[in-house]
Amino acid sequence: MASFILRRLIALIPVMCIVLVIVFSLVRIIPGDPATTLLGPGATQQQIEALRAQLNLDESVILQFYHYVTGLFVGDFGVSLKTGQPVAQEILQRLPATIELSVLAVLVAIIFGIPIGVLSATRPNSLFDHVTRVVSLIGVSMPAFLLALVLQLIFATYLGWLPVSGRFSPYLPVERVTGFAILDGLLTGNLDGALSAVQHLILPTAVLAAFLAATLGRFVRNTMLDVMGEDFIRTAKAKGLRRRDVVLNHGLRNSLLPAVTIVGLKFAEMLGGAILTETIFAWPGIGRYMFEAIKNRDYPVIQGTTLVFALLFVLTSIIVDVLYGVLDPRVRRKMG
Amino acid sequence: MTIWKRIAAAAVALPLLASAAYGQDDARLKTLVVAVPSDPVSLEPGTNRAEPIGSEIILNVFDTLVAWTAPDFKALEGRLATSWTVSDDGKVFDFKLREGVKFQDGTAFDAEAVKFSLERTKTTNPYVKATFDLIQDITVVSPTELKVTLSAAYPAFLSILAQPQAAIVSPTAVKKYGDQFASNPVGTGPFSFKSAQADTNVVLEANPDYFRGAPKLQQIIYRIIPDASTRRLELEGGGVDIVQQQGQLSAIAAEDIEALKANADVKVLETSSQIIRQLEFNNSKTDGPFSNLKARQAIAHAIDYDGLLEGVFGGTAERVYGPLTSNSWAFNPKMKEMAPKYDPDLAKSLLSEAGIDPSSLNLKLYSFQGPLWGAVATFVQANLADIGITATIEQTEFPALRGLQTAGQFDVALDGRQPWYNDPDAHITIGYLSSLADTAMTFRMPKDEELDALILKAQQTPDMEARKQLYFTVQEKIAERVPGAYLFSPKLIVFTRANVEGLVVNSAPPLNEYWSVSKK
Repeated sequence: MASFILRRLIALIPVMCIVLVIVFSLVRIIPGDPATTLLGPGATQQQIEALRAQLNLDESVILQFYHYVTGLFVGDFGVSLKTGQPVAQEILQRLPATIELSVLAVLVAIIFGIPIGVLSATRPNSLFDHVTRVVSLIGVSMPAFLLALVLQLIFATYLGWLPVSGRFSPYLPVERVTGFAILDGLLTGNLDGALSAVQHLILPTAVLAAFLAATLGRFVRNTMLDVMGEDFIRTAKAKGLRRRDVVLNHGLRNSLLPAVTIVGLKFAEMLGGAILTETIFAWPGIGRYMFEAIKNRDYPVIQGTTLVFALLFVLTSIIVDVLYGVLDPRVRRKMG
Repeated sequence: MTIWKRIAAAAVALPLLASAAYGQDDARLKTLVVAVPSDPVSLEPGTNRAEPIGSEIILNVFDTLVAWTAPDFKALEGRLATSWTVSDDGKVFDFKLREGVKFQDGTAFDAEAVKFSLERTKTTNPYVKATFDLIQDITVVSPTELKVTLSAAYPAFLSILAQPQAAIVSPTAVKKYGDQFASNPVGTGPFSFKSAQADTNVVLEANPDYFRGAPKLQQIIYRIIPDASTRRLELEGGGVDIVQQQGQLSAIAAEDIEALKANADVKVLETSSQIIRQLEFNNSKTDGPFSNLKARQAIAHAIDYDGLLEGVFGGTAERVYGPLTSNSWAFNPKMKEMAPKYDPDLAKSLLSEAGIDPSSLNLKLYSFQGPLWGAVATFVQANLADIGITATIEQTEFPALRGLQTAGQFDVALDGRQPWYNDPDAHITIGYLSSLADTAMTFRMPKDEELDALILKAQQTPDMEARKQLYFTVQEKIAERVPGAYLFSPKLIVFTRANVEGLVVNSAPPLNEYWSVSKK
């Protein structure tokens, strides 16, 4: 297993190099000069050229690449063209918000999605099965922005139970320690702030979790239905095992592989930032940061966030593979 | 009680507890929450590029020597300067400065600080190079007297001094924080900077020692809310007190504005702006249909200006009659008579006088992106179709559009200008001086020695009344040439909760000052 992980980590290097080259050239191929974009329609050529010089955009692309790569080796992701702040620092400022949201969304999705899938599969074509299938179809098909708006209208505007957007109430600001708002609220003894942070987390989590829970539910149901028809299930039943043991230890365990893949990949995607959800809920995460950067042609930020995203994606897929080994002895043997 | 029961009870109690937490009325009434779409680029006058959010915060944290007087913004008043005189040749400005003013870090404001700030911006801020480079010398006469000498007469210089780039910084704080000054800005303004969290908020605190008197609010919280519909919900729910129409053409749709006007909890403040949006011709082109004056006049008469203002903007934009908006101090009232009136029949006969068969014209109508520009383009397209001209709309991403425009690769395009300082110079010189034709998005005016000389004279004449008359003539000369069809000027719209009072909305540039604001 250790050598498997090591091999995968080594394979990470060429992947990251390719990502780097692609994203570095892509951002420069898309039309639109950052200085022009940052200054807006009113600017003169003189102003644009002065800004280009200030941002070192008048250097050749090769030289820019050389400076960027040598910087990367010492952990320097460059500075944002828009704000002039180090990109690494700006990413680190936003990462906790994204992690907080995506970890919770994945947990909620697992807590709801898997049991629903299992219950549906053990009672195929029952009323419960029909209802959950319709609900999960809606969950899979409904665009995030629509679900977000509906939830905001119901729970914030009409019922007034939850806040519309943001990470904590403006009147109960949470001082930043770790960047994880709830934790920071508790650490600084600001219990009202922590509570408000929990409330602010509910709606965006629900939106993110809804899609994943619905997908998970449908997948687990389908694979489970297949698995429950297999010979070894019949054998287990014939041996007189309790129904619960048959379903959970034999059925579910063998249905979990695709679920692990989905959860892993979706989790990686969420860590890369759920652009729509973060934008609608004014959530200060990575997705929104990257989206703004693309609009502004903020090259170093686009490069930095893409690299982090790629790294998280590859690392998550390694974890998924390791989990495969844990769940399936055949895979474990192949890993060596 | 088991742990699960406890959790369930907590979940039920959560909303109730929170409403208790929200109920700190006193703090709420002393705190103003302002929604903005993104973080300020920087709170540093030394690098400010007229970006709206940072500029507004700068003007609330810092002071400038002079400022425009509310509510009509046609005359300057002293802020850190109490009075000033301008030499007859318009090159030397003598300022008398306010005494006893302190920066928020407790250090004293004086003429040295002004010299330090202006020289600092001159070296660090390429955005204002064209105007700050005119500063030849700044002499400290005494702690309360300052002499600024320009290399050439530039009466709009005072207007530049009212801009965020010319805000006076604390020299002590600049030396202390170095390149981290943007994260620790210190000025003399009514609010001092407290904290900022990326993509979350910027918090300002009242400066109790402010020289015009302590502000009525205790703090201002700028909340960063990128999505327009979320901003609206927050305003309706009371989560924010003020929503501004940043980037006039992409904020809240006209029908939403109507809905908000009907909401008793919300006030809608509308102010005329100095922004102009136009359909412009490529005036430097010597061939093509629009090198003919009659063809340009035909297009100008083909557009249903009032229909556009009502149909697309629902009254949230105003008519523009010429190269300046009617709220400019240099606006020539004669423009109202000279402005083309909607008359499709006249347009058709002008085209035939020009010898142009409208069906032979197949125009590409270039425009910025976004639904509102799309609606304007569609409206103009329909007007052109009424006189027999086929136009295809090309909504292009801004950098590409700028490239086409400055290279002159177009016949007609939708364009516009938001002046970043309050002076006719900000529209006229850059827009119509032929030597600047391809240096920015301009009207690409052809060389015209008489008009060019007039524009430069108007720009440089120190006597304001004489200047005004010169701009009157400039406007007439430009209007006679019909360099474009002036379509509309979007109003500055600020939504506030009904209990917000005393807000001052500047017209050019559109920035709010919160010193006089209170909540009831």
